[in-house]
Amino acid sequence: MPAREQDAAQVKRDHAAISSLADELLPALIAKLAASGLGEIEVREGGWKARLRKPATVEARPAAKPAAGAQGSAHGAVRGGAALARAEERDRRGASDEATADAEPRIAAKSPAVGIYNPRKDLAVGMKVRSGDRIATVNVLGVNEDVVAPVDGVIGSSLVEAGEAVEYGQELVRIELPEPVADPSATAPGRETAGTAGKA
Amino acid sequence: MFNKVLIANRGEIAVRILRACRTLGIGAVVAYSEADRDSLAAQIADEAICIGPADARRSYLCAPALISAAMVTGCDAIHPGYGFLSEDEGFADVVRAHDLAFIGPSAEVLERFASKEATRRLLAAHGLRTVPGSAMLRDEAHALAEAERIGYPVLIKPSGGGGGKGMRLVRNAQELESTFKVSRSEAKAAFGDDSLYLEKFLEENRHIEIQVAVDRFGNAVHMFERDCSVQRRHQKIIEETPTPALNEAQRLDLAECALKAVTAAGYENLGTLEFLVDNKGDAYFIEINCRIQVEHAITEMVTGIDMVALQIKIAAGEPLGIAQSDIVATGHAIEFRILAEDPAKDFRPQAGLVGAYLTPGGPGVRMDSHLYPGYEIPTYYDSLLGKLCVWAPDRATAIARGDAALRELLVDGVTTNIELHRAILANQVFLDGKVTTSLLDRVGSAPFVAAGSR
Repeated sequence: MPAREQDAAQVKRDHAAISSLADELLPALIAKLAASGLGEIEVREGGWKARLRKPATVEARPAAKPAAGAQGSAHGAVRGGAALARAEERDRRGASDEATADAEPRIAAKSPAVGIYNPRKDLAVGMKVRSGDRIATVNVLGVNEDVVAPVDGVIGSSLVEAGEAVEYGQELVRIELPEPVADPSATAPGRETAGTAGKA
Repeated sequence: MFNKVLIANRGEIAVRILRACRTLGIGAVVAYSEADRDSLAAQIADEAICIGPADARRSYLCAPALISAAMVTGCDAIHPGYGFLSEDEGFADVVRAHDLAFIGPSAEVLERFASKEATRRLLAAHGLRTVPGSAMLRDEAHALAEAERIGYPVLIKPSGGGGGKGMRLVRNAQELESTFKVSRSEAKAAFGDDSLYLEKFLEENRHIEIQVAVDRFGNAVHMFERDCSVQRRHQKIIEETPTPALNEAQRLDLAECALKAVTAAGYENLGTLEFLVDNKGDAYFIEINCRIQVEHAITEMVTGIDMVALQIKIAAGEPLGIAQSDIVATGHAIEFRILAEDPAKDFRPQAGLVGAYLTPGGPGVRMDSHLYPGYEIPTYYDSLLGKLCVWAPDRATAIARGDAALRELLVDGVTTNIELHRAILANQVFLDGKVTTSLLDRVGSAPFVAAGSR
């Protein structure tokens, strides 16, 4: 199947890009970030990007999601097959060429389980939340599991409607970070810098 | 028939079940853990849903996650595959309580056959010979007394175990004393149940199992036997059918006795009765597997029956639709379990990124696998990469096809046991059809590994 072969070739290119990111770019980037006083820095390589962010006051790093379809698919829990996910990904890749200054950190509260999404009644864009605050629930066979804010921040856009089915790990609500403040006491960049690599 | 089935498993069996659903013209949703997001089943499915993190206890073993996934995707049945929750009567019960069908025996049937010890007694009462064994062991003193009565060597077996997991061989009282406590805590950790029993260890036995199918109307058929004597530490490596160990009359007699006993005991759905067969050809019933087996494909090759489709039909309440006289086994089939483990390094499980992946072809060759080039093998689950099965009109030709197919099979990037299979195929004991379950462990795998690397 030619599609399969293309996939294999794509995977090979992806892995080459990732190792190039890891081996060459990341060390340089870490040094640069430490020296710059910037909160975040991002580079791209062959459809992949690496974003480094200094830790916020709390652990601000969302779980690294290397896989396709994992990121903010606002298309509901039930993917219509991987082909769709891959198409979305290609779209995103195409779009990202234009959106070069995508400095906005993308953090979202994620679903703790498979079930039905119910946001808190008073949840509204602009609302301040602390890390660990319950902002919604996911109903799993009648049992509500808490959706919590992963960081201190401000509620952004909702990615899912109330009453929709969601899958485990699905992004539900964007959380905007407060303005990043450079921490002058930052030391040992390798250890102090939170790094994520993900598909652009 | 069902409308849509949730596939609550992973790896090659998830792909196999998906294919059966498509053949039957019913929908399927693949439930996957975060570690299996890129799995073949999730890739080729029309629908896939992430049910939890990599840890199986929170995904493939998590009943609420699976049932919730089935409900939000509009499924009306759950196929548990093998392993995980496939024989869990509590899961079958709670699935039914949510108005979903469990594709397997009912909770009552699973419960009746849940305890190996009780099952042996039940089927012994229905005419099957069983291996001399003990009652559930109360404590060490009880274990020593029972072992004395049965006679060493004995196997310590966890009641909740399966597939040879957690079994230990002890040859005398000292070994039993030093092993008993460890076995108990291992059983507790692995199966959540620390009950143990003893079984007389039959040296030089063969492992032969009978495949049965029983619908809810009492129609019952067997699909002959599979010989799973090529094992390493009680894990099957190569299976074949028919067995080279029994003659035609013995084979039929065993299959008919097994079917009669299990039907009389009230079994339903697909099932496999496992026997140890000694060098006189006497068969001792050891346990029943209430699920589709890994090695079902070789039975499919000789009978032409789609067993997963049949299993789904039975669970949907349809009659078998085949009579015993319709089932004819033709030719010889062999399965090789392709495992991500390194025979040269004590069979340590391997993970990694699959590079090139080429599957063999030709007459009578079938590859059931979830591999594809670029697939990253997760470290969280078992090491089964796929099953290479070959069929031929006779055993010698099947062996030749097996070897040719193994030579063609290429899995780059991960160490596998492919060469070990070829070494076993070239071994005179295997060629003579005289492999016993302890052969690999007794001789050690080293000669095979050495032969395989030449």
